[in-house]
Amino acid sequence: MAFREYKIGARLFGLALGGSMMITLYMPSLNIVEVASTETGLRKGLSYGRVGGFSVEDPFLQGEGKPKTVMLSQDPSTGQAIEPVYAYVYEAGTPFTSSIRHPRILGAGVKDLSLEQGRIGEANQASGAVFVVAEGSWNGESVSYIENATATRNWSPDAVLSAAGDANTRYIGSGKIMFVREGCWWCHTLLPEETQDWQVFGVPPRLGDYNSESPTAFGSDRKAPDLLHVGSRNSSREWMMMHFFNPRLVQPHSIMPRYDYLWGDNDAAGNRIDFVQWRNEYNAYVSGARVYPPEVPEPAADSEARYLIDFVLSLK
Amino acid sequence: MAWKFDKILHSLTDDAQNQKARQLWEAESLGGITEDNNRLPQAVVWLLGLTIITAFLITFPLWGQRPSAAIYQAYVAEMDSPEVAAASDDQARVQAIVNKVKAQGGQYEALQERHPVEMDDLRMIKDQVIELQNAGVDLEEYTVVGNRVVLANFEGNIKADGTKQRKQPWWDKGYTIDIFYVIYFCVAVLIAIKRLPNFAWQPDHHKGH
Amino acid sequence: MLKYLFARNEDIPHGTSAVYFGISSIMWFVIGTGLGSFNAAKLAFPDFVTGSELFSFGHMRQVHVMAVIFGWISMAFAMAMMYITPALGNTRLWSEKLGVWNCFLWNFGLSLALTLLWAGMSSGREYSDFPWFIDLVILFGIVAPLGLNVWMTVLKRRTQGIYTTNWFFLAGTFMVFIVLLVGNTPEYFQLTGLTEAYLTWWFAHNVLGLWITPVAAAIAYYTIPKITGNPLYSHRIGHLHFWSVVVFYSTPAAHHLMSAPLPEWLKSFASVEGVLILVPAIAFVSNLLLTMTGKWHYFVDNVETKFTITGVLLAIPLNMQGGFQQTRAINWYIHGTGWIVAHAHLALLGFSTFLEGAAVYYGLQTILRRKLYSLALANFHFWFLLIGFSIYWISMTIAGLIQGAGKIYEVPYIDVVIAEHPYMIARWVGGTMVFTGNCVWLYNMWMTARAGTVIPAGRLPHELAYER
Repeated sequence: MAFREYKIGARLFGLALGGSMMITLYMPSLNIVEVASTETGLRKGLSYGRVGGFSVEDPFLQGEGKPKTVMLSQDPSTGQAIEPVYAYVYEAGTPFTSSIRHPRILGAGVKDLSLEQGRIGEANQASGAVFVVAEGSWNGESVSYIENATATRNWSPDAVLSAAGDANTRYIGSGKIMFVREGCWWCHTLLPEETQDWQVFGVPPRLGDYNSESPTAFGSDRKAPDLLHVGSRNSSREWMMMHFFNPRLVQPHSIMPRYDYLWGDNDAAGNRIDFVQWRNEYNAYVSGARVYPPEVPEPAADSEARYLIDFVLSLK
Repeated sequence: MAWKFDKILHSLTDDAQNQKARQLWEAESLGGITEDNNRLPQAVVWLLGLTIITAFLITFPLWGQRPSAAIYQAYVAEMDSPEVAAASDDQARVQAIVNKVKAQGGQYEALQERHPVEMDDLRMIKDQVIELQNAGVDLEEYTVVGNRVVLANFEGNIKADGTKQRKQPWWDKGYTIDIFYVIYFCVAVLIAIKRLPNFAWQPDHHKGH
Repeated sequence: MLKYLFARNEDIPHGTSAVYFGISSIMWFVIGTGLGSFNAAKLAFPDFVTGSELFSFGHMRQVHVMAVIFGWISMAFAMAMMYITPALGNTRLWSEKLGVWNCFLWNFGLSLALTLLWAGMSSGREYSDFPWFIDLVILFGIVAPLGLNVWMTVLKRRTQGIYTTNWFFLAGTFMVFIVLLVGNTPEYFQLTGLTEAYLTWWFAHNVLGLWITPVAAAIAYYTIPKITGNPLYSHRIGHLHFWSVVVFYSTPAAHHLMSAPLPEWLKSFASVEGVLILVPAIAFVSNLLLTMTGKWHYFVDNVETKFTITGVLLAIPLNMQGGFQQTRAINWYIHGTGWIVAHAHLALLGFSTFLEGAAVYYGLQTILRRKLYSLALANFHFWFLLIGFSIYWISMTIAGLIQGAGKIYEVPYIDVVIAEHPYMIARWVGGTMVFTGNCVWLYNMWMTARAGTVIPAGRLPHELAYER
C-alpha cells in the first residue's frame, strides 16, 4: 500500500468490512439461534401470525390473514367443560406463524416437544389448524411447547370459533397490524429497560420472548408510557375505547392523537357514527358549554378500533 | 512494492520508490486539489491514545448495572425490625429500612441508592430472597425484576467450564475481541502511513501546476 | 429532464445529472422539513388537524424521516458524486445518461415509496420502514446505478491517484449496497425475534455510519481545499480517517440495544467500538480545521465555507455525544428519550446537512456557470438553518434529560408529558425556521439558474461573490 497504489488497500478494505460483519453478524447469530422460546414468546408468536408488518396477503395492513385468539371453556369436539385455555385459531388458508413453518426457531427442547408431543409438523395451512400452549418436561426441566390441537384433540378451527363465540374471540394478530400501521410504536415503546425501568413499566423482556415475532417494534423514542405490560396495569376495555377515540377524555394532558377514524362508519349497533356532531359536542364540552362529554360510540365487532383494543389488552 | 525495514519509524518504503512517489505527488493535479504530507499532530496522537484507553475504562459496567438480589438482602433483614414496624405508612417504612441499611454501610451502598425499591415489591421478594438464602446460593447470581427474583442471565456469556455467567461480568469476550480489533487497526494504519515518504518531506505544489 | 432521458450520451451536457440531483435534493429538503415541522406541531398541539388517518402523526413521522434521508441527504450526495467524482479524476462522468435516468427513477421511486408508506404500507422496522419490494427497488434501481456510475468514473479516471474524497465515495456506495442487502434480510426471509430486532438496528446504525457520515465528510474534503485553495493538510490523517470509518463505524450496531435482551458480550464489544467512533471524528475535524490555516477569513465571507466549517464543528459535539451516550454508564439514563432525537438531528440536520448544503451551493454555481442570485438570501438561509436547528437541539436535549429523570425517579408518565410541553413548542418553532430557510433556498437556487450573473470562463464562483 504505497503512495497511489490501491491493490492492497482494496483487499484490506474487504478484509476489514468482512471482519466487521463476521463479528457483528455471524458471531451473535450463534448465540441468538440457541435461545429457546419462553411461554410468552410462544403465545405472542401464535397470536400475531406470520408477519406484523407488510406482507403479501395483507399489503395495505388491513389486518387480514391473521389468526384469532379465543378463550375456550368447553371442548368443542366433545362439548365437555374444560379448564379455560387460550386457543390460537388459524382458519383455512391463514398463513402460519414462522415457528410452525420452521420449528427450529423455537430453540432446543421447545422444538422437540412441539414436534413429538405437540405434533405441529402435521398442521396443514390449507385446511387450517388450532394451536394451544402446553406444559411438558424436557431434560428434567419444565418447558412450554406448542400443541396442534387439530391433530391431538380433533379441534377444527370452525368448531373452536363457534364454541367460543365472538365475546371470547380476540383479534390480537390484526391488532398488532394496527399497532404497526398507525405508528403507535413511534411513541409507545415495547421495551422496559433492564437497568432502571421496571418499577413502573414492569418486567423487562427475556431473551426467548420474541421467537417467531416480527417486527419486534421495540421503539426507540419514548414519548409515552411503555406498553409491554399495559394489559396488566389497565384491563378496562371501556377506558381503552375512550382513550383511543379521544385521549383527552380520560387524560386531559395527553398529547396522543385521536384514533376515532379507526371506528369506521358504523358503531356496534350498526348506526352511522356522526363524527361532526360528536366533535361539536366535544368542543362544547371543552369550552364549558356542556357538563358531560358526548358518549363514545361502541366500536363494531369487525372495526379496526376493536382489533387495536384487543391487541393492547393482550399485552400482559 | 519495495519495502525497507532499517528505519521503520522513518519510512517503510525504499528510497527509489519514495522518489517516484514524491515526483508523482508534486506533478499530479486532482481536479485542482493538492495534498500535503504533514505528520499526525502530536496532540492528535495523544488524543487517539486517550480515546482508546477511555473507550475501555468507561464501558465497564460501573453504572447501569442490573439490580441483583444481593443488594436487597440487607433490606429484607431489616423488614421486621421495631423501627420499621413503628412506621406509619409504607413510605416511612421504606425510609426507615433505607436509613438503617445506610448506617451499616457495606459494598452495595451505591447500587442500593441506584435501585430504589417500594415496600410492596419488597414484601413480594422477601420470601423469595429468604428461600434463596436458606438454599445457600450466591444471591449475586439472581436479578430482581419488579416483584420477582430470577436467575440472572447475561446472555451468551459462557464461563470456561461451560456454565453460564450469572454475575455482572466486568470483562467478557467482547472486550477481548475489541483489543485484537484495535491492535489490528493501529498496525494497519501505521503501515499505511509509514509506507509514505517521511513527513519531513513536503511536496512543492508550484512545481507541477 | 425528460428530453435527456432518450438523448445520446454524448449529447447530454456535462453536469446535467448533477444539476437535476441538486435541484431535486433541495425540493425534497423542503418537503422533508415541511413534514417535520407539521409533525412537530402535532406533538405540541395534539388536536391540530385531527380525524383523518392520512394526517395522523403515526402515518407521517416515518415519511419525514425517509424523505430527508433518501430525498434530501442521499440525493445531495448523488449530486456531489456526479460532479466531484469526475472533477477529481480530470475526466467526465462515466455516463451522464445513466445519471439522468438514475435521478428520474430516484424521484419517481421515492415519490411512490413515500406515498405507500404514508398510506400505512410499512414493514414496522425503524429506518427500514419501506416494505421489502421497495427495498429491492431502492437497492437495484437507485443505489446500484449510482454506485456503478461512481465506480466506473473512478476506474476510467485520467489521473494516477484517487483523492481522499473519492475513497469515501467508492467505499460509501459499496457499503450502502451491502448494508441495504443484508440489513433487510428480516423482510426478505421473514426472520423473527431478536434476529429481526438486531438486524433492524444493524441496518439503522450502518446506513448512518457507513453512508451518511463518511460521504458527508468526503464532501468537506473537497469543498475546503477547493475554495480556500489550500492543499489538504495531511494525506496521512486522511488514511487514519478512512480506515477508522471502515473499522470502527461498522461495528457498534448493538449499542442501540444496550438495555434490550441481546448477548452481553456483544454489548460490551459494541460499546467499546462505539467510543472509538471518536477516532474518525478526531481525524476528520483536525484535518479540515488545519487545512483552513491562513484562510480563516473565508469562514466569514464565503458562504460555502461557512456551511462546511459549521458542519465540521458540529461533528465535535455529535461524536462526543455519539461516543459516550451509548455506554452502559450513560445509556441507562438517556436511552429512548428526546436526547436521542436531538442527537439524531445533530447528525442529520446539523453535521451532515451543512456539509451537503455547501456541496449543492457550490456545485450548482460551478456547473451552471452562474453566480449565486443573492448572497443575502444565502446568508439568511444559513442563519435560519443554524438557529432553527439550535433551538431544536437544545429543546430536545432538555426534554430528554427531563424524560430520563422521570424514568429513573419513577415519576408518573403524564407529569413528564406536561413538563416536556414547552420544549415541544420550541421544537416546532425551530423546525419551522429550518423549513422557512429552505423555502428561501429553493427560491434562491431557482433564481440562480434563471437569472444569476454568468461566471466568465476560468473563474471560480466564490471569487466573484462580492463583484457586481
